[in-house]
Amino acid sequence: MIEFKNVGLVYPNGTEGLKNVNVKIEDGEFVVIVGLSGAGKSTFIRSINRLVTPTSGELLVDEENILTHKGKNLRALRTKVGMIFQNYNLVRRSNVLKNVLAGRLGHVGTFRSILNLYPKEDVALAYDNLKRVNIADKLYNRADELSGGQQQRVSIARVLTQQPKYILADEPVASLDPPTSHQVMTYLRKINKTDKITTIVNLHFIDMAMEYADRIIGMRAGEVVFDGPVSEVTDATFEEIYGRTIREDDLRGGADQ
Amino acid sequence: MNKKVATKNTKTPNLYPKKTKIQVTIIFAVVLAMYLYSMNFTVSQTTGGFANSLSNMGNVIKEFFPPNLSILPIIWEPMATTIQMAVIATTVAALLTIPLSLLSARNITTIKPLYYITRISLNILRTIPDLVLAVIFVGLFGVGVFPGILALIIFSLGILAKLFGETVEAVDMDPLEAMRASGANVIQVIYYGLVPQVLPQFTSFVLYVFEINIRASVVLGLVGAGGIGLTLDRELNFYNYPNAMTIILLIFVVVIVIEYISTKIREALI
Amino acid sequence: MDKNVLPPKPKKSAFKKIKIIIITLAVIGIYVWTFLGIDINWARAIERVVNNFGNIVPKLFSPDWSAAGEVGEMILETIFIAFAGTLMASILAVPLGFLAAKNVTNNYIGTLGKWLLSANRSFPELILAILFIVAVGPNAFAGVLAIAIHSTGMLGKLYAEVIESIDMDIVEAMEASGANKVQILFFGVIPQVIPEFLSYAIYRFEIDIRASSVLGIVGAGGIGTMIIFASMNRNWNEMGLILLAIIVVVTIIDMISSRIRRKLV
Repeated sequence: MIEFKNVGLVYPNGTEGLKNVNVKIEDGEFVVIVGLSGAGKSTFIRSINRLVTPTSGELLVDEENILTHKGKNLRALRTKVGMIFQNYNLVRRSNVLKNVLAGRLGHVGTFRSILNLYPKEDVALAYDNLKRVNIADKLYNRADELSGGQQQRVSIARVLTQQPKYILADEPVASLDPPTSHQVMTYLRKINKTDKITTIVNLHFIDMAMEYADRIIGMRAGEVVFDGPVSEVTDATFEEIYGRTIREDDLRGGADQ
Repeated sequence: MNKKVATKNTKTPNLYPKKTKIQVTIIFAVVLAMYLYSMNFTVSQTTGGFANSLSNMGNVIKEFFPPNLSILPIIWEPMATTIQMAVIATTVAALLTIPLSLLSARNITTIKPLYYITRISLNILRTIPDLVLAVIFVGLFGVGVFPGILALIIFSLGILAKLFGETVEAVDMDPLEAMRASGANVIQVIYYGLVPQVLPQFTSFVLYVFEINIRASVVLGLVGAGGIGLTLDRELNFYNYPNAMTIILLIFVVVIVIEYISTKIREALI
Repeated sequence: MDKNVLPPKPKKSAFKKIKIIIITLAVIGIYVWTFLGIDINWARAIERVVNNFGNIVPKLFSPDWSAAGEVGEMILETIFIAFAGTLMASILAVPLGFLAAKNVTNNYIGTLGKWLLSANRSFPELILAILFIVAVGPNAFAGVLAIAIHSTGMLGKLYAEVIESIDMDIVEAMEASGANKVQILFFGVIPQVIPEFLSYAIYRFEIDIRASSVLGIVGAGGIGTMIIFASMNRNWNEMGLILLAIIVVVTIIDMISSRIRRKLV
């Protein structure tokens, strides 16, 4: 369970990233955060694994306040919380398997990982996860030989290999075309349902949010302006979140391609 | 609209604004004056002036020919020492450069004072010519190859750490963020995220510095720091010009061959 | 878990394998040759450093200011040598650079020209200085010539690369408007290359300052003369001052030079 209690974040230059956020996310939920760029979606997500550190309030992950975590505690938290990025963030010159195994770094000791002495089960797990996202045949290809969609699938396999309790996805489809976007979201959704991994996704496409989410959180200027199940969401809700009428580029489209 | 402007402005415009013209003229005059002064200053030290020097040069060059190739087997040994000095110095410098360049990269060393101290000391180090370092080390350790190797290490460390530090600053930070987000510690982040990105450049820079070290180690012997330079110095002191010419030719050939190989490898790497 | 056994790695071609083996053997060979061949007298080096350390290192950090006048003069001479040598080289390198540029002459002459220029730069400055000293005597002028010749090789090659990278469309446009070769050179090519030529020449001056500061070691003038005397007389206080002077001058010139170059390009 993740719980934001009056969380606020002021960046050193004075801009407010989060304002008095109170949100509770139950285990197994598939939550999509929507909002314009700069609304604080990314700050919200990155607070959970402390890539950014909120300046006030409490953030509980499994009943523990993580805002004071340092060093070993912090790495333990990050091992428990996996993340998927907009730009896939793979090491482009390393091969796919090595990239996926990087997900185990938090579990494996420094010495073992540097000598490439991963336990057999870890390698098997990595391979299994590559099969789950249908990219096992590219095992020994270098990451920069793959297309964007393939790279994002590799990064999903990496996150699965980490065996996290939570997955955070920061605009995972923003750099992809519509069919590939749906493919990636379908994988995330499937993983959420079968592995019961709580998943929090940032999106700015309204139609995709509606199609894949259980629950939608709307953000504007660092504040949560909407929080409720998908069934309660209407076009009017989005207009309120975005503070303007809905436009063509707020939609990804191509759901049936 | 353009026509109106053109008819109003009857004077033809200058090709360049007046200010630029004056600036260029002044700079040109200063450079020229300084050049004439420098030339006058240096030529005045020669006996008989510029023309005499040039005609003298022809006569001297004749003395160097034909080179005495029979000494090649004897001079091969100091030549080998020269290359070995460069190999050792480059290897040690390459190893030492790794921590230093990480410390001098803004994106890895987030502790500001540490970064600035490393940067400044490397900058100072780079201003000292290799031969000056060699002179000091010869004073410290006595004549031999050791002070030469030490001078080469320190000298190439300055260059290598700067080049490599800049490469590290230019890497894609995204994968490193992903590693950090998955709970990896600092060493794992560097090893998995950074090393694969910079390894080809690193190898290329090391080879480049090896080329520089070869050229530098050739002359280290002139101040007693080992290698072929010492032999050359001796032959010249005895006015043994044909022998000196053979040494110079050997140096020339070795430098060219090593540079050629190294350039080919570096081209293949990147 | 059995079904999760990894598929075999794709086989590397035999050629690639042999290449890797040859490279590995070559590297190992070089190191074996090096460590068998090099002869370091550790005992003596350690003994010397133990005896000398206290005599030398503290003195380096307490410069002898009474020599300031002479050091200043010699530093000035060093700058003169570098300046005269670089300027001579930067002018000599222009025609050579054009000769070595493939798009100005042709492929064969261009390649040959570049070969000659890089052969030229393979002679270390100090070796050239030794040759010139024999010819014109042990003085600063020998140093100027050594710097000039070595830098001509470096600059000529860089100039040729600049000329090869220019925008040939402009040249074509001028040809189309009926300009002759000389006109094209002056109005189409030179304006494009001037800033980079200047930038390289100024950068070369930075390098030549360092080079000319050691020329005196073989007798070709400049501060190096004092370095060799200070070390022979074991006058380490004076050496400290010389070192300080070199560091300060080189740093200042580097700073000025990089500022000018940033403005140029």
